[in-house]
Amino acid sequence: MMINSAEVLFYILGLMTLIAGVGVVAMQNPIYSALCLVMTMIGISGLFFTLEAYFVAGVQLIVYAGAVTVLFVMVVMLFDLRKEVSSALGGGINTAAKAVGVGIILGLILSAISLSKLGTSTMPLKGLGASSIKEVAVQLFTKYIFGFEIISVLLLLVVVGAVGLARSRGGTHA
Amino acid sequence: MGRDTFEITVNVVKMLVVFLMMVQMVPILVWLERRGSAFIQHRFGPNRVGPLGLTQLLADAVKFICKEEFLPQKAVALLYYGAPVVALVPAALALASIPFSTPVEVSPFEMLGQAWGPYTFYIQGFHMNVGIIYILGVSSLGAYSLLMAGWGSSNKYSLMGALRASAQMISYELALGLAIVAVVLLYGTFDLAEMVSAQKGPLTFHMFSREYVVSVLPNWGIFFQPLGFVLFFTSVFAESNRLPFDLAESEGELVAGFHTEYGGFKMLLFFMGEYGHMMVSSSLLAIFYFGGHHIPFLTEASVHDWALSLAGQETTVASIITSLVFLASFLVKVALFLWFFIWVRWTLPRFRYDHLMDLGWKTMLPWSIFNIILTAVILFLAQGLVL
Repeated sequence: MMINSAEVLFYILGLMTLIAGVGVVAMQNPIYSALCLVMTMIGISGLFFTLEAYFVAGVQLIVYAGAVTVLFVMVVMLFDLRKEVSSALGGGINTAAKAVGVGIILGLILSAISLSKLGTSTMPLKGLGASSIKEVAVQLFTKYIFGFEIISVLLLLVVVGAVGLARSRGGTHA
Repeated sequence: MGRDTFEITVNVVKMLVVFLMMVQMVPILVWLERRGSAFIQHRFGPNRVGPLGLTQLLADAVKFICKEEFLPQKAVALLYYGAPVVALVPAALALASIPFSTPVEVSPFEMLGQAWGPYTFYIQGFHMNVGIIYILGVSSLGAYSLLMAGWGSSNKYSLMGALRASAQMISYELALGLAIVAVVLLYGTFDLAEMVSAQKGPLTFHMFSREYVVSVLPNWGIFFQPLGFVLFFTSVFAESNRLPFDLAESEGELVAGFHTEYGGFKMLLFFMGEYGHMMVSSSLLAIFYFGGHHIPFLTEASVHDWALSLAGQETTVASIITSLVFLASFLVKVALFLWFFIWVRWTLPRFRYDHLMDLGWKTMLPWSIFNIILTAVILFLAQGLVL
């Protein structure tokens, strides 16, 4: 059977993303979890590339791999979390909670897959150069404007919360 | 990669050449940096080994390879060894998508009893329609190498240096990205090669539906984006962790920052990453603001005609000569910016950390947002501004 290079790339990237994704959950040390998360982000970005959604792939890399996860890694590195994490992960109730959590998420994923139409033909994000980026912007600012704007409110809320927490405990040096 | 064996071979060779060029530039830049620092600060640089101390670098390279291989007792081996390799990756990937010169047109020819061609080879590792986004994406991964090095060495100085460096990179990436947004608005494309070709000819702009041509100036981005240039130029210094923003390795406070525990070849890999970052930044400066490979008052067609007369009407040879001429022009611009990096490093003192953050968040970020708004308004007023 002939498989073309795009398929090979897809399987390699998919495998990388999945292994790294499992690593995020399975790693005992939070640093390795965070670094696995970076690998997952890079893998997802590569998958967008294979789908020819170059702009989304690049933005995925810039925003998630390049900025958000860097902050995760920085914060995790600042604190020595090993004891806290191992104490939080043990115990019978925890194991039961883990099993229930995995079940719920698996159910959600399976139902999402079975409910969604696979192989949709309209992909506004696909394409080369500036025209596809314009298309993304048009979609974002017309069809999805409510979600887009509400997310900014959510982010504002998070910022206010973070500042409030930091100040109530006597600053970041407490 | 290509349609047939010849094209694939050339493309693979091209990628290797781009990577080797980055690696080979490092010793030259190190020599330039040491001689330059000596020249600027009234000292002696390497001047004993070989003419002008040039072979000192060869000796250094041998020293780097022969140094003792050393792993700190408490270090995490995977991260400690991985970090220098990761440091090299972003710069190498980003440099591969920089358009260096005009494409080479190869007319059909015969080789090994077979007909080949015609081909068009871009003088670029690979051609990308979203070049800028790709470069920003891969170079934003640079922070991980510092964090891995800092944490993996299990040294407080290393960790502090790494945290400072990555915080600084994230902060200045915002101003950098917004300066690039203004550039994208101006040229209306994400393709670096298209940006370069938009800057040919004399300075031309449209204002209130009339066209103005200033024939004494080239049509370069710097005349449309002076503020953007200043912002971009300042940010790339911070991005590549060089003085006056090299808080990551301020010797007085942090021994050597994230690479305190590194020596020998691993240290050299960090250097290669830093110089690679400088090369990418200089290339981007040339492409965004200084016309890429274009030479003022010369067009591609006129150089091609001259090359044709030189090569005796051989179009392939003429195309190669044209490409080489413009490659030289591009490399001169890049070399000037690289020298500027070195010049600034040995001239300005280091910022204090809070001053650095204030500059990034309270000065650069507002100004770059202002720059975007200004560019957008002017472009809107001058509708039909065709660069």
